[in-house]
Amino acid sequence: MEKAVMEGPRSIGQSAGHVEGPAKVTGRARYSADITLPGMLWGRALRSSFPHARIVSIDLSAARRVPGVHAVISGADLPEVRIGRFLRDIPVLARDRVRFIGEKVVAVAAETPDAADEALSLVDVEYEELPAVFDPIEAMAPDAPLIHEHPERYEHPPIPPIGGESRYHPFANVCSQSIYRRGDLAQGMATAERIFEHTFVVPPVHQGYIEPHACAAAIGPDGKIDIWISNKTPFIARRQLAAAFGVPEERVRVNPTSIGGDFGGKGSLMDSALCYFLARASRRPVRMVMNYTEELTAGNPRHSGVISLRTGVTRDGTIIAHQAKLIFNCGAYGAFIPLHFLHGSVHSAAGPYRIPHIEIESLRVYTNTVPRGHFRSPGAPQTTFAVESHMDMIAGELGMDPLEFRLRNVLVEGDESAMGERFHHIRCGETLTAAADAAKWNSPKPPNVGRGIGIYERAPGAFGTSGATLSLDRDGKLILITGAADTGTGSFTVLAQVVAEELQAPLADVIVCQGDTDTAEWEEGAGGSRLTHMAGRATLIAASEMKRALIELAARHFNCTSEQVQMRARRFIASDGRELDWKSLVAWAAEHEALPLTRSGSYVAAGHPDVTCYVAQVAEVEVDRETGQVRVRRMVSAHDVGTVINPLTHQGQIEGGLVQGLGQAMSEHLLLRDGAVTTAHLGDYKLPTAMDIPELTTVLVESQTGPGPFAGKSIGELSNVPPPAAIANAVFDAVGVRLTDLPITAEKIYTALRAMEKRN
Amino acid sequence: MKNIQVRVNGHPVAREIPDHRLLVDFLRYDLGLTGTKEGCSVGVCGACTVLLNGQPVSSCLALAVMADGGEVTTIEGLAEGDRLHPLQQAFIDYGGFQCGVCTPGQIMASKALLDANPHPTPAQIKEWMMGNLCRCTGYYKIIEAIQAAAAEKTEP
Repeated sequence: MEKAVMEGPRSIGQSAGHVEGPAKVTGRARYSADITLPGMLWGRALRSSFPHARIVSIDLSAARRVPGVHAVISGADLPEVRIGRFLRDIPVLARDRVRFIGEKVVAVAAETPDAADEALSLVDVEYEELPAVFDPIEAMAPDAPLIHEHPERYEHPPIPPIGGESRYHPFANVCSQSIYRRGDLAQGMATAERIFEHTFVVPPVHQGYIEPHACAAAIGPDGKIDIWISNKTPFIARRQLAAAFGVPEERVRVNPTSIGGDFGGKGSLMDSALCYFLARASRRPVRMVMNYTEELTAGNPRHSGVISLRTGVTRDGTIIAHQAKLIFNCGAYGAFIPLHFLHGSVHSAAGPYRIPHIEIESLRVYTNTVPRGHFRSPGAPQTTFAVESHMDMIAGELGMDPLEFRLRNVLVEGDESAMGERFHHIRCGETLTAAADAAKWNSPKPPNVGRGIGIYERAPGAFGTSGATLSLDRDGKLILITGAADTGTGSFTVLAQVVAEELQAPLADVIVCQGDTDTAEWEEGAGGSRLTHMAGRATLIAASEMKRALIELAARHFNCTSEQVQMRARRFIASDGRELDWKSLVAWAAEHEALPLTRSGSYVAAGHPDVTCYVAQVAEVEVDRETGQVRVRRMVSAHDVGTVINPLTHQGQIEGGLVQGLGQAMSEHLLLRDGAVTTAHLGDYKLPTAMDIPELTTVLVESQTGPGPFAGKSIGELSNVPPPAAIANAVFDAVGVRLTDLPITAEKIYTALRAMEKRN
Repeated sequence: MKNIQVRVNGHPVAREIPDHRLLVDFLRYDLGLTGTKEGCSVGVCGACTVLLNGQPVSSCLALAVMADGGEVTTIEGLAEGDRLHPLQQAFIDYGGFQCGVCTPGQIMASKALLDANPHPTPAQIKEWMMGNLCRCTGYYKIIEAIQAAAAEKTEP
């Protein structure tokens, strides 16, 4: 009983609905497209209809005469800048050349969308078509058309030595190349008793957030530039925008808005730099809202690619050597990814396996197609589909059970990963076994029903700096100002829970505000599964400082030293037995002008975390032999987790990710023909619906070992990765059809089944 | 241009609008009711769902003139003062949204469902709600939230 009183109310481990819930369920939450300012104009862009062409001339005169039009600009009206998250290779508006269908060429700002569209229809652009290339392998051929003539002129920050050696533009049309080596591949292959080689093809897919990119820009009389943008990393957006505008960062303020889904796709500037140039040209605030066709045809979808794997094993099924060559289609520009290379592809090409000899090469190749960007665990779903299908194919050839083959090869405590990481508390085998047990892996199956397994590993994000500012106001409420946007994951709620836990406060007494980039502490923002860990740590530091400050206040009140005061269950207790409750301390502090009391916290990653997270999934499918139709009957998702701070939002990440993975396995394919995206609306690009979801069993393998506050780990970028492999493996188990390209459609299975029948 | 008279969330509204004004733009930009969201613009994602004379419609496909003389209910019209509608409360309590951008449409569509069928089975919920895409939740918690609201349970 006494223990419970000492601990006070617990917040960590409690399911709590989103703190911003009331705003979101009543329509009061403000997204970027909802911002309206006095005198605001509509910005629209004219896009290239050619995949590769020289711009011969642009005539804007008729467009400028349309009533209600305030600005019409082309690349010639802008400073010669290129923008990008790391590699700055995309112009705000095309200059001289267009490199993909959908590239922005001209922009207008007008009083109504109709006037803007009419003006765009009157723009006359003369193009001279150039030879185009759409396939990354063809783009690397010696006679391929050159997409960027002087890529060496593009700026980028220094390349850190992570995940092997990387360089930009090593050969013609190659945006980036990364090579990772460990051990001696040739020697490893020479000692292997069997060598298996398979190639896999993954299509481009779209993040599918329901809110298309939107932004607004306004320039104040003092030159201050205000931006509203559906961007998950406001401080990084500010840095990129300031560079694009040629102004100091302090001149730009990125304002908080709700983000209507991100999944990696909302980290780029998209139209926001252009929106500012329209505001500058028209001297009015401007908003730009993409429509979904623009999203699908000219957004920043996930890299498609061809993945070739070669693995040498002993006869008893031990992996000795592994080689991966990953060729990704980067599209016309490399500006949309926040790293120098597709890191997840290199990391997941090794998988969670013990491999002494390994060589991985990952290439991103320019083509005349829509630029590719980041999507939830970038590079991993594509590569894991290949690696985990390959592992099943090897197990099959060796006559081994796929689970047994994996258990023989996955990392165990004390092992060093193929990427050279030394993790503690490795629970890879445990997670695999938990998934298999929950799926009743060895139980009998009806005809045409199969089970498949897939595994993925990803460490909690530990990079950049996070900040938090916590104030205690005169009402006794705790106000947390964060510079992080909540993209929907529930990060505001988790941060509130961290404050509530540390200060033994009811969750309702913690108010989370997203500050703009002028008022909030620097925050790297959402991405790479870092927010709970990094922003959570910064918040915990601020809350601990607040606790110390409150104890000091209580000591002043008691006229003793702070060492003589303890805080228990929201009461301040002096060593002589005197007590003061929270409310009384707040009232006393207010009287003595000690409020509002503000403390801040900042947290910098101490390096790569020494713990990681595993997810193992089992899919159970039923295949209709007549039609090839696959029904995913059931999925088991087993997770190696730390302290679960909020079970409700944690489970939400698992479920939402899993259904994204299901979509990528079963239905999603951004189809391109001659460089044009033909699945140009959400009727053709098939996101999963409520009718498509399988029965789901979640298993949590818990331990208090994470690097985050209260020993939390990460969860956001795990469950979406294994489904394509697990489902493909289950289809093979069900009817013997092995698909090495996604998505897994009825048509492909039907064709394969008919071919099998013919052979028999 | 055309003069229309509509009751929006119980309040009479009269406006002169272009004949081709979409209902979603009328609500969002003429009336400032930005709770209604536009996602796909082609009537397949359901984010823009509002009730027109009690029936769910995609306001990105409906013309504002179609609402002339009628009654439109948007997400802003659901709560009574600070008291949330049971569906709104259930979507919070059960984690029926994450980013929230599809949520106004999800809630309006599920209100129409419960108005027509107060106690739907999970299969009926899935079938009705398949016209409302959500990329965050994977739908599991949306279905739970609707079931809970139907059972008038507000705490998980």
